[in-house]
Amino acid sequence: MRKIFALLSLLIVASMALAACGGAPSATQAPTDQPAQPAATTAPEQPAATEAPAYHGTLRVNVGTFPDIMDPQKSSFVNEIAVLQMVYEGLTRLNGDLETVPAAAESWKYNGDATELVFTLRKGLTYSDGSMLNAARYEYSLHRNIDPATAGEYASITNDIAGAADWNSCTENCDDKKAVVMETVKASHADGAACTGYDDAACDTLTLKFTQPAPYFHTVASLWVTYPAKQELIEAGGEDWWLDSDNHVGNGPFVMTNLEQGVNVHFAPNEVYWAGVPSYDLDYSFITDGAVAFEAYKNNELDINGLAAEDLATVQADPVLSKEANIYPGSCSFAMMYHQLKAPFNDPKVREAFSYALDRDAWVTDVLKGLGSSTLTWIPKGFPGYKDGETRWGYDPAKAVQTLTDAGYKVEGGKLIGPDGKAIEITDTFSDTPRNRTRNEWLVAKWKEVLGIDIKLDPVEATTYTALTKDINTAPQMYILGWCADYPDPQNWLSVYWKTGAFGQRIGYSNPDLDALLTQADGELDPAKRADLYQQAQDMLVAGAPVSFMWNNVNTYMVKPWVTNLNKTPMDFGWIGSMDPLSVTVSEPTK
Amino acid sequence: MSAYFIRRILWLFPVLFVVALITFSLMHAAPGGPWDRDLSSRQVDAGTQKVLNAYYGLDKPLWRQFTAYVFGDVSSTTDKFVCGLVCGNLGPSYRVRGSTVQDILFKPPKGKGFEYSRFGYSLRLGLISLVFAIVLGIPAGIFSALKQNSLIDYLSGFISSVGISIPSFVMAIFMIIIFATTLHWVSVVPKSWDEAKAWVLPAAVLGFGTLAFATRLTRASMLEVLRQDYIRTARAKGLHENIVVWRHMLRNALIPVVTILGPALAGLVTGSFIIETMFSFPGMGRAYVTAISQRDYSMILGTTLLYVLMVSLANLSVDFLYVIIDPRIRLEE
Repeated sequence: MRKIFALLSLLIVASMALAACGGAPSATQAPTDQPAQPAATTAPEQPAATEAPAYHGTLRVNVGTFPDIMDPQKSSFVNEIAVLQMVYEGLTRLNGDLETVPAAAESWKYNGDATELVFTLRKGLTYSDGSMLNAARYEYSLHRNIDPATAGEYASITNDIAGAADWNSCTENCDDKKAVVMETVKASHADGAACTGYDDAACDTLTLKFTQPAPYFHTVASLWVTYPAKQELIEAGGEDWWLDSDNHVGNGPFVMTNLEQGVNVHFAPNEVYWAGVPSYDLDYSFITDGAVAFEAYKNNELDINGLAAEDLATVQADPVLSKEANIYPGSCSFAMMYHQLKAPFNDPKVREAFSYALDRDAWVTDVLKGLGSSTLTWIPKGFPGYKDGETRWGYDPAKAVQTLTDAGYKVEGGKLIGPDGKAIEITDTFSDTPRNRTRNEWLVAKWKEVLGIDIKLDPVEATTYTALTKDINTAPQMYILGWCADYPDPQNWLSVYWKTGAFGQRIGYSNPDLDALLTQADGELDPAKRADLYQQAQDMLVAGAPVSFMWNNVNTYMVKPWVTNLNKTPMDFGWIGSMDPLSVTVSEPTK
Repeated sequence: MSAYFIRRILWLFPVLFVVALITFSLMHAAPGGPWDRDLSSRQVDAGTQKVLNAYYGLDKPLWRQFTAYVFGDVSSTTDKFVCGLVCGNLGPSYRVRGSTVQDILFKPPKGKGFEYSRFGYSLRLGLISLVFAIVLGIPAGIFSALKQNSLIDYLSGFISSVGISIPSFVMAIFMIIIFATTLHWVSVVPKSWDEAKAWVLPAAVLGFGTLAFATRLTRASMLEVLRQDYIRTARAKGLHENIVVWRHMLRNALIPVVTILGPALAGLVTGSFIIETMFSFPGMGRAYVTAISQRDYSMILGTTLLYVLMVSLANLSVDFLYVIIDPRIRLEE
């Protein structure tokens, strides 16, 4: 009853608003939460600028929805990071092979048990306006990220820093907790002497202390939360400082020259970027309607645009457009989640049976139309920690039925009857969009076909779905959910998701053995041993069949032939090649 | 008459209050909150959510949140009293953090005039499309009625049927394909909204529905008036046809048309989600609709109240117009 009221009230509120607008909101382009990877060439010695092309073009990219917020310590959406990563750069960055390489920091060093990390900054670093960039700037960024007054939505990503979690979730009398973080994130001279301010040229060392060993943290330091936006500009500009392009003085490959909310963001090359100077201007459009963006692309008004699934057939049938399509692996894994505490999925045998009954290859061809690849494991191909050749719980209809029967279950009249003789109702919950409706109808039909069980479909409104799935008490029996890499380290895939109390908590997942193994892996300093421990952990995870691993996404972009040298990586976001903008060349458009 | 208008304007306050109360209750009854972001994004963790709720006062009881919105409350960070809706403060947006709702709607970019704010953009587009609808729709209706069952009548009947039956997103993409991709008269993505031609397509698509409706309504009420005795009388006493049409027919026929144009104006100037999405138009319609799925509470309330205010004012001005058009109408009790 409460649900009906909730839905009704939603409808009424919606209809009030729609009365003025004459239309329903279409699903916005789904952003993913891949982290920003500041771009650069592989080495400072070989920037694109050495062989300056005669033509200085503008690369025109459609980024989709206009960012809600462009503040390094508050942003969390892909379209927001797509802007920030052009203007700012973190302590480290990722290269085209997803390896962590030096950026603002020229080197870093862990102590013996990886509970302390010391970054040494490059000499002579400056912002795009020529002003000095020293370690105190990064100290400020990290403090600001942890500060509860900032309340950044990605703040918890730095919770390995000692005292960070306490200060970040503090609501009253926080001075003691703040004092702890002031000590655990500290800029200094190389000899340990205190920095005197932002104009202290000898202030080139940043020391971080962690609560537990964190040998992956140099990769976390590439994330946008460390981007050194200037304190004086943030404070003078007030809470919405980021709306003014003049306040975005950064250290990345580009300088923001224009920002018109909802319309356009324009960038010019940063002439003093340490790794080289891009050979083109960059222009972001924000077209949310896929059909319109596709028209603009065909009309040569855009150079790079996302390829929507609905345009795929048109593109493939066209001799010109088909050559301009780029489809390559992405950074997300999707699974059918089962609530581990709710019957019948509290029984691992039922989860196994449901996994056996799932034909992932047919799913990819029939439902995703080839835009994805099937998987039976959690870490996607192309990421450190990927396990090739996983076969457990793969499609096998006979085994699916057998597993269920062996465990004492029966199926009568479409109902699953438990070993205790009671019928168990199963409901598949999803966020109600036409696309999800097709997907879940397909799944339910397949399970019916293999196992003979009638599964009820439960479509709910998008935000209601988010709210439901976030809480262990309200999380549905079964639903599809994914995870996209924040940074390419198995720790981000396994510990951040599957440790007790982490994201996997929402489906009631808790495995003390896995926790112990992951804690050991997180603190292991030897890369080979560490990789092996994570491999064991992933094996243990898959062995319990907690969920049905299903598919990995793909990145899909249309690129005009005059845009070349795109260094694509699974973690591109915003646009293809965005991880390495220096190597991109834009020649004169041909008609 | 002025007493009547003053009374009507005073009535606006209780209306706004009740609408705010109803909207507030309904949106809080919907599950989820502003921190339940799109599932493809990383979700806000519990600690940060607590801090955010405390910062925005969302941890307080609902009645207190409502009084805080309407009248104001003591800020949790500065311990100073922050005045609410009664002072024209529509509250902070939970999504575009750092901006208040009135900033988002009414504040132009640095160095630009009010017409460059979101509301300013929507207002301009709405007025242009209303003028488009009136200038083409009403004459089309008049001619159709005067030349009933002629080619011109069938043609305008066809166009208005098209306008009413084709949804605006279909119309928009057709217009884009015809005028931008094929004929290259305009670009799909306008370089700048300072160019007049960038406004043509959005205004035409937005105004088309109103145009079609105005045409049909004008035609129908003209036809009704045409058969009235006083028209026959006017003709019988030898009045010139122009005077019959303009003085006797039109003034009477336009009353129903004016009635619909008021609310239509409010609808047009508060922006359209579809038009803004299709034409990448920087108005307030998108902010209005996406706020609902984002549970951006103050944005939902602020935009709803603005819409209510526009509808009320439009209706009020329609009442005022009645007096001018039809001398028989008196607004005194």
